[in-house]
Amino acid sequence: MYIKAISAISPQLTYGDEYVQGDFQIHTKGIINAIEPNYLAIIPASLLRRMGKAVRMGIGAGLPLIKNYPAIDGVIIGTANGGLEDCIRFLNQIVDYEEGVLTPTNFVNSTPNAVAGQLALMGEKMGYNSTHTNGSLAFDNALLDAKLVLESSDKPMELLVGAVEEISDYNYNIDTLNKHYKTESISNEDLISSTTDGSLCGEGATMFVVSNEKEGAIAEVVDQFQICFPENDEIAPLIVDFLSKNKLTPQAIDLLLFGNAGDGRTDFWYNNLQKEVFPNLAIHTFKQFCGDYRTASAFACYQAIQLMQKHSIHGFEGQQPTTILVYNQFSGERHGFILLRKLPLAMKMEH
Amino acid sequence: MRKVFITGMGSISSLGLTVEEQLKKLRSGQSGIGKVNHFQSVYSESLPFAEINASDEELKAITGFAEKGITRTTLIAIKAFQEAIADSRLTPAQISHTRTAFISSSTVGGMCYTDALYTDANNKGEISEFYSSYEGSNHTLQIVKQFKLKGYTDTINTACSSSANAILLGARLIQSGRADRAIVGGADCLAKFTVNGFNSLRILNEQPCKPFDEHREGLTLGEGAAYLVLEAENVIENKPLYAEVKGFGNANDAFHPSATSDDARGPLKAMRDALSTAGLQPSAIDYINAHGTGTVNNDETESFAFMELFGTAIPAFSSTKGYTGHTLAAAGALEAIISVLSIQNNEIYPNLNFSTPIAGRGLIPVTNLKQGVEIKNVLSNSFGFGGNGTSLIISKVD
Repeated sequence: MYIKAISAISPQLTYGDEYVQGDFQIHTKGIINAIEPNYLAIIPASLLRRMGKAVRMGIGAGLPLIKNYPAIDGVIIGTANGGLEDCIRFLNQIVDYEEGVLTPTNFVNSTPNAVAGQLALMGEKMGYNSTHTNGSLAFDNALLDAKLVLESSDKPMELLVGAVEEISDYNYNIDTLNKHYKTESISNEDLISSTTDGSLCGEGATMFVVSNEKEGAIAEVVDQFQICFPENDEIAPLIVDFLSKNKLTPQAIDLLLFGNAGDGRTDFWYNNLQKEVFPNLAIHTFKQFCGDYRTASAFACYQAIQLMQKHSIHGFEGQQPTTILVYNQFSGERHGFILLRKLPLAMKMEH
Repeated sequence: MRKVFITGMGSISSLGLTVEEQLKKLRSGQSGIGKVNHFQSVYSESLPFAEINASDEELKAITGFAEKGITRTTLIAIKAFQEAIADSRLTPAQISHTRTAFISSSTVGGMCYTDALYTDANNKGEISEFYSSYEGSNHTLQIVKQFKLKGYTDTINTACSSSANAILLGARLIQSGRADRAIVGGADCLAKFTVNGFNSLRILNEQPCKPFDEHREGLTLGEGAAYLVLEAENVIENKPLYAEVKGFGNANDAFHPSATSDDARGPLKAMRDALSTAGLQPSAIDYINAHGTGTVNNDETESFAFMELFGTAIPAFSSTKGYTGHTLAAAGALEAIISVLSIQNNEIYPNLNFSTPIAGRGLIPVTNLKQGVEIKNVLSNSFGFGGNGTSLIISKVD
């Protein structure tokens, strides 16, 4: 499967050129919020008012790609939680008004498939449409789903694939109860080197135009792999195996892009894999840019492709990788690996 | 491409705790819709529901899973999962094999205890035992953990077509050679969140739902879980093949967030794609297990789609939601199992509560149990919010 174009709304200035020119946005408030663009050029004001954050970020990142790639047939989205702000608003109405007469807007917006549904509606795409909600594997699942759809087509085909996650008070509170976030004040700049418990909450929408056609593509999704609840020593041999199935040795990987989150409890997963399988490679990380959230592997793929394009990403100066392994896990439960390879074509910026 | 066979089934709904119990009710025409005993809501008295006849405590005893924080969604999922893997006689080694996939689905997921979630999400009091269980995919994670699954896992939420898409994806994984087996389905339980959501859209009927009837006034919410074991033809050893997953189509109506277009373009595309992947003409369909929710919009547009696709030769059809209510994410898998029962037993289970055909459509579903009819190919429809629609074709093994 090939990637033709990418787009992201994230806590960095990814909607313009700043991020690929080395800009790094510092967030010190504990929550790493997305920097949202002015949506009015993309979304009519009347619609925008009724959209929750997950839906508008998804439309903001995805709809321009749909417009620029008219051959896109369908939409596949990964989101662990969908529109949680609307979800809690509706929930609060239920309890506060003792199940009285409620307005449906929040309910309709809160369903995780609202993003893929709205993209299909606004982009008039009647083809394959699905939404994966499988926690930190939801984006990985969406990618494989796309691959299966593309493989089954004997004609050239394009799909929009992406991931959306929003921070709301709701998931921030729940995830805080689950001790996912740091209790001390820390900036995203210092996140990865931290060794205390928890990470910093992030959010964003990341979209990809994928195709079964190599022509016009900038990168290839070579393969992917997932495992749940692994034993400590289980991952290293599985990754060697995974690479060898793709006729690669660990030495063939140029860059490791790992989900280290500055979480003293779970970063060992990344560090151990690097030590055991890639002793000659340094770990590069992406969560200082986007924060920690379940579908952050989509942002990692976005960043990997920007690195392949030799853009000057902050802290990656001089790197010119062609083969990148992305690894992300959440709470040590679900682990996902995505193998990406550069193609010769240069990318044009999409925004 | 490898053929994909169904070799095991497990389900729980208001009709019973096992497939066998549900089959008895399907044959005797007894609906699972009525007054609730367990679900607590302002609407518990005023609206009918299709509730599973077991409390959370009873489900814990039945499944043997009683961990703190386990939700009703997870409990009913485990119950149906246990039945499906036992029915297919999968060994622990096969269940944990890296080439066995598990694809589940849910809409309400772990948010089934609305009041506990309210407290935890708003920091409004003592932390509930469910604080780690709210995610839509929590039931999947629990099953992965408890049954030591090591293969591909996924959770889908495409609203009312969720578990139909789980079946579709499982079949594709097997066809493509990425998995040899897939356990596929979904689970959704009654929750204030869903009941109030559908109520705010004014599509809940105060009487048990009347699919395809002129005087239908909305749907009846139900709860259920259903899983099917799919296996590749070349890994099946000496076990009965219940049916084949022969075709599937997934399309988006791209019309409205919560209603189907008048010309049913999405549902029609899903049905046509299903026929085309199955390599079948419309005339090969012997029975349609319709989506048939009982809402004004769905039944009108689904009828229109039948007329467009089949012309005057519309096959026997029924919606079984008059029995089970609308079980949302579980509906696709639950109705796929009912479709398999039709194929196995040469019978069609009736569309309950029907009396008057829809004006201008005139379609009459099967209203009494039909027995002794050979069913070779069933079309099973699932359409939902967000324009999501999926049609499956389940066929008798040649």
